[in-house]
Amino acid sequence: MAASEARSTTKSTAPGLGRRFFGAMRHLFDRPTTALGTTVFLLFVLVALIGPWIAPYGFNEQIYADARQAPTLEHFFGTDNLGRDVFSRVLFGAREVLAQAGLGTILAVAFGTFLGLLSGYRGGWLDEITMRFFDSLLALPALLLALLLLGTVGQSQHAVLIVIVVVYTPIVARVARSVVLSVRNKGFVEAAKLQGESQSRILFREILPSVMPALTVEGALRFSYAIFLVASLGFLGVGVQPPSPNWGLMVSEARPHASQLPWAMFFPAASIALLVIGVNLMADGIKRTLQAAG
Amino acid sequence: MLGTNFRLHNKRLFAPFFLIVTMLLVACGGGASPDTPADTASEQPAEAPDTEAQTDEKSTAEELSAASGGTLRVAMQPIVNTDPLNISSDSEVLVANHVYDYLVDIDPQSNIVPRLATDWEASDGGLTYKFTLAEGVTWHDGSDFSAADVAWTFDRLRTAEGTPTADLYSNIESVEATGDLEVTFSLSEPNSFFLYDLSDNHALILKEGTNDADSNFNGTGPFVVDQYSPEDRIELVANDNYFIEGQPSLERVEIIFFNDDAASIDALIGGQIDLAMRMPTALFVTLQQESGINTYSIPTNGFDLVRLRSDREPGNNPNVMQALKLATDREAIFKVVQQGFGAIGNDTPIGPLYEAYFDPNAAPPARDVEAAKALLAEAGYDESNPLTLTLHTPDTGGRPDLAAVLKEQWSEAGVEIEISVEPESVYYGDDGWLEVDLGITGWGSRPYPQFYLDTMLVSNAKWNESHFSDEEFDQLVNTAGTTVDDSQRVKSYREMQQLLIDRGPILIPYFFAQLGAISDQFENFEMKAFAGRTDFRNIQFTGS
Repeated sequence: MAASEARSTTKSTAPGLGRRFFGAMRHLFDRPTTALGTTVFLLFVLVALIGPWIAPYGFNEQIYADARQAPTLEHFFGTDNLGRDVFSRVLFGAREVLAQAGLGTILAVAFGTFLGLLSGYRGGWLDEITMRFFDSLLALPALLLALLLLGTVGQSQHAVLIVIVVVYTPIVARVARSVVLSVRNKGFVEAAKLQGESQSRILFREILPSVMPALTVEGALRFSYAIFLVASLGFLGVGVQPPSPNWGLMVSEARPHASQLPWAMFFPAASIALLVIGVNLMADGIKRTLQAAG
Repeated sequence: MLGTNFRLHNKRLFAPFFLIVTMLLVACGGGASPDTPADTASEQPAEAPDTEAQTDEKSTAEELSAASGGTLRVAMQPIVNTDPLNISSDSEVLVANHVYDYLVDIDPQSNIVPRLATDWEASDGGLTYKFTLAEGVTWHDGSDFSAADVAWTFDRLRTAEGTPTADLYSNIESVEATGDLEVTFSLSEPNSFFLYDLSDNHALILKEGTNDADSNFNGTGPFVVDQYSPEDRIELVANDNYFIEGQPSLERVEIIFFNDDAASIDALIGGQIDLAMRMPTALFVTLQQESGINTYSIPTNGFDLVRLRSDREPGNNPNVMQALKLATDREAIFKVVQQGFGAIGNDTPIGPLYEAYFDPNAAPPARDVEAAKALLAEAGYDESNPLTLTLHTPDTGGRPDLAAVLKEQWSEAGVEIEISVEPESVYYGDDGWLEVDLGITGWGSRPYPQFYLDTMLVSNAKWNESHFSDEEFDQLVNTAGTTVDDSQRVKSYREMQQLLIDRGPILIPYFFAQLGAISDQFENFEMKAFAGRTDFRNIQFTGS
């Protein structure tokens, strides 16, 4: 009798949370700032998906006769010193930054969650070792760590992905772990243990749903930082090679020409800013709706 | 449900604004392209990479005082080496060139002119050179200058192991003081460019027995070192006892070190410095619109070299390089990468400034993408098996832009290029640049063409980066370098140009311009193609 009661409690906990979670997501458009952020973000996602088809020119296509032109109807964002259409390059760049930052964030959240759950739930020496190791990684500024890693693993697009994962996994793991610590002694976890459920089932069916809201917010935040990181690395010229339309690299390449061709620098810089602001507003909205949902 | 550790701070939203404002501010500073054509970077092949010069930025602008009478304030990159034996960058040469004197000098038109030597004559079929030295020359420490100092200096230059000058002067058999003011050089074989070799950047005359040349600036030159603050500035005062009457005209020269070209241009516009000779084309164009500043653009013999290793796949098939040459649009490159400054190249290091040696009729064929495709097909490359290469380039000057343009132009002929932009220290480090298949290397301006041929293109050349080996070519270079017959030398050089166009594994899309800007308070400024050799002796201050 007691066992079946416990079972029903645990069964209702997870789906209940899940329903509240997805219910809350529907409110992303309720608040104007959140709606704005989400719209901006979705717009960039759309651009990333269809950008290469709507871009009027290739990202390295050079129209020498049109070089160094201010924005016109022909070239919405003007052209750079080599006669490349800045608008097309920004469109192509959206795909690169969203793919790298997005995939990197998803992987970092996945690894971080797994390690955080395990470490927080098991405790003991595993927890000690994992967390001290992550502490040592977190002691270094993200950009410095990224540069160190790129210097070690070599420079490529994959390396940038690895960098994002390594830089953000510890942060996500800490967040996941702290939530686990607060719920691991709660009744429904105890009940699941008493029922003899396997560790993986307890971790992923019982505890994970409690961690999800926190992870969603953290994931959105990490995503905005990852966009920054991808752009910063591009600006520094590491992990990316010309003629890549990486926005950071575009800003860096346009710097010497800034007084003559300000548009070649303004539009990629504005894209970075707009996307990051959009993602941040959205993350803020997610947090508020989840808090409201309880 | 959410822990406090997830709290969002609204100030984080300001981060993107901060980013964009910062970027715009940086931009309005004019931007900082790492260097300009014909600078130290271009000099790299001739010298060891000068990475030590990367020191911390200073708040130089604030420290600078207003202009004073007869003081020329020059922006230059920081100097590292002060011993003339080891100098290489523009700034190092500029300092040494004013503290010491050359035996013979080169004027802005690349002619040999007297300096410490007032007269000379060659005899013995070009195997003996006798120099008469100027009278009344004294060292900054007050002692008298003599022929023994010259002999000692050249013995030091030719025997110091592992230096560029040891190679350069290996042809000298002996240097002797044959009189108080007469010095005689004996050569093991004739050298048409011996006088040019004697005016090499390093060949500044030191006092006999000097063993602390890196800290004791005891020269005969027009200026005396007043104060040297490493990584900040070096201040020079006029040498009242200079052996040439009326020189120098300036009272003082202050060479102020800037790591950032953009910062030096800002200082020039703001009146904190008077002269800058290192800037990206984009900043030069901005300066042309400033009042109170005179800008100078002079053509040079320096160039960017695109070369393919010819001793292994795929470059060992000469069709491949010819196809790349045919797929290149030089005029477009000149227009967008160089913004029209300098001159269009002709795939040989013998440029139009060499006048008689330059053959205006030897021009590479016009761009023909179809012909390029046909040549590639002959070499076994087509759409299903495209020619794929990595193009290595240092991150300085217009080289990354050149790489991006070449990638696009060559793609039309079906060539797939991946670009690898590397910091200069990485590109030249461990001789990596001599190993790679396809690379872009900057070569600084030289007053005579033999230097490039001897060091870069003959079979056993020290810096034969394309691994070119051609008997007929080697023969022509040897003839040009040793003959005493001018017409034969001209003929050899002209034949070489056509030969390189036909089968050389090198592509030279343009020659650089040397860019400079000086306050209009100064007159008689004449910049040289190698900016460090610019002569301040005649510059006059006309301002108030």
